[in-house]
Amino acid sequence: MSKIQRFWYSGMLSTEDWWAVWLGLAFFSLGLLTLLGIDLVGWIAYPSKWVFNMPEGAISKKIVTIDKAFYALGGKYSLTARDTYQSLGPIGSILVTYIIFTIATVTGAYFQKWDVKRYFIGWTFIFFLTYLVWFIGHHAFFAASAVDLKRSHFPAMFTLSLGGGASFILALMAGLIIGNFFKPLARYLSEAAKPEWFIKTAIVFLGVKVGYLPIKAAATSEKIGHALADLTLDLFIAGAAATIVAYLIFWPGVYTISRLIFKLPRKTAAVLASAISICGVSAAVATGGAVRARPVVSIMVSSLVVVYAVIELVILPGVFTHIWPGIKDPMVAGAAMGMAVKTDGADAAAGELLDEFMRAKMDETSNGTVIWPEGIITVSAVMTKIWIDMFIGLWAFLLAMIWVYKIERQEGEKVPFSEVWFRFPKFVLGYFIAWFVYLGIFFGPGHGGSAEGMSVLKAAEAGAVPVEKGMRKLFFMLTFMSLGIITDFKKLAEAQFSKMIWVYFIALFFFIIPVASIIAYLFHHGMTLPNMATPGSALLGG
Amino acid sequence: MTQENNTDFGSLNTEDLDTSSVLEGAEEWSPIETKLVVGSFIAAGIALIIGLIIVPTSILH
Repeated sequence: MSKIQRFWYSGMLSTEDWWAVWLGLAFFSLGLLTLLGIDLVGWIAYPSKWVFNMPEGAISKKIVTIDKAFYALGGKYSLTARDTYQSLGPIGSILVTYIIFTIATVTGAYFQKWDVKRYFIGWTFIFFLTYLVWFIGHHAFFAASAVDLKRSHFPAMFTLSLGGGASFILALMAGLIIGNFFKPLARYLSEAAKPEWFIKTAIVFLGVKVGYLPIKAAATSEKIGHALADLTLDLFIAGAAATIVAYLIFWPGVYTISRLIFKLPRKTAAVLASAISICGVSAAVATGGAVRARPVVSIMVSSLVVVYAVIELVILPGVFTHIWPGIKDPMVAGAAMGMAVKTDGADAAAGELLDEFMRAKMDETSNGTVIWPEGIITVSAVMTKIWIDMFIGLWAFLLAMIWVYKIERQEGEKVPFSEVWFRFPKFVLGYFIAWFVYLGIFFGPGHGGSAEGMSVLKAAEAGAVPVEKGMRKLFFMLTFMSLGIITDFKKLAEAQFSKMIWVYFIALFFFIIPVASIIAYLFHHGMTLPNMATPGSALLGG
Repeated sequence: MTQENNTDFGSLNTEDLDTSSVLEGAEEWSPIETKLVVGSFIAAGIALIIGLIIVPTSILH
């Protein structure tokens, strides 16, 4: 274990993990102030699907004109400052968003001892490029579905129907272009391109989303609100069971493939097995520390994790939506995604894509009669990943003990239990706090969505939506952009670790993904989503 | 971010990629590794059976 003396609070001001908690909980807390009638989060700029000019007879409903391509979410949802936020307009809301998140993230960069000037310049570039891509990705050609066109009284026209997923793909592509064709720029931007930080923050915001889902549904019907609260708790339990089983199959399977087929040394095989089977970078780093592998192993494996995560991100949402399991089993698809896609960023992003694809397909297949709530499929993908993340610390601890006491047999060496805490992914704490607080509001002062609690739930909604919708998606977009910027395919090719590339490829596509799909099916098959289009019927659409 | 920080806390970074080989010199497969792998698979089987029984959304319910 590390010889650096550490305390339980070590890293609270200096690690990405903790800063994701601080950033996430800071805006979550600001959102809660709407319960007191104070709205401090409605400024966040959010895109609409847009066209340059409205066709004759069309109405601004699901699709608007270019001058309304962005709006402050508070202008729509705030109960106390709607006029103020509406007056910001598209440019004003983007600038306010920039100023507030610049202050927040630069503060984080300062405490994490990054080069603040370089971070500030890089952040500014990435922020505005992200908003530009977000804007382009919401053009009706990319984002509008046939149902959107119909609701806005548009004439029939060809669109890609990708929903918000188009923006994620474009952000990743823009980042990859910078990372692979403008390398000096990418190197400069790398100080601010922090996909792990951005996604961990987004996952804390996702906690708000999970807690808010029943509140949102209650606005449609009390019955649907309860159905969603139950569904998220079901996902919590099923995700835990699936993850434990997957863990215990994945790791020894990949370790055996690495050792017996590819003849890798034990430590390298252990790090690789953790990375491919558990949770990418964090697991590779934790296992590398636990078994005392050379740091380069963790770094090489981490690079592979990023590349394969991007490949999975591009392939799996489409495969799960259109080939198997499709819209018949969206929760199976989400849970399998969480177990198969490594890195929190790529998984949550892939879950988000899957969510967009599945809802768009169901919307289109049912001709708008079945509308699934946004975000619940993402939640199913993230839930298994969250459990996996929580077990990283425990797994690293077990491996450390096995290595110390069994494999390497170092006499007299002790592994402190505090190692579990040090390896525990702290951002998970933020996720659970945000989730349980909003769930507490729903079942407590919100009276489970009944009429007497509706005023409290409306006030909670005004603070939750800007965080769970605007800020969460912004940080997903930043993650995609950053992931692309730091991915240098040529550098990986030069590193001559083709053997590792093949281990990863075979283990991932011929072992991890099939096994993940089977386990997800065993624990999630038949879970249904509420139909938001039909208030009276809670569990249609599945 | 330094390499030490990477090892301690982890962050995606493709810089400082050392190409020196850590892929050679594989040790012989030892009995303890067999125990580790087989034990893990057995534990997975037990966890699967318990999980399928107690989780309300599993295919057994």
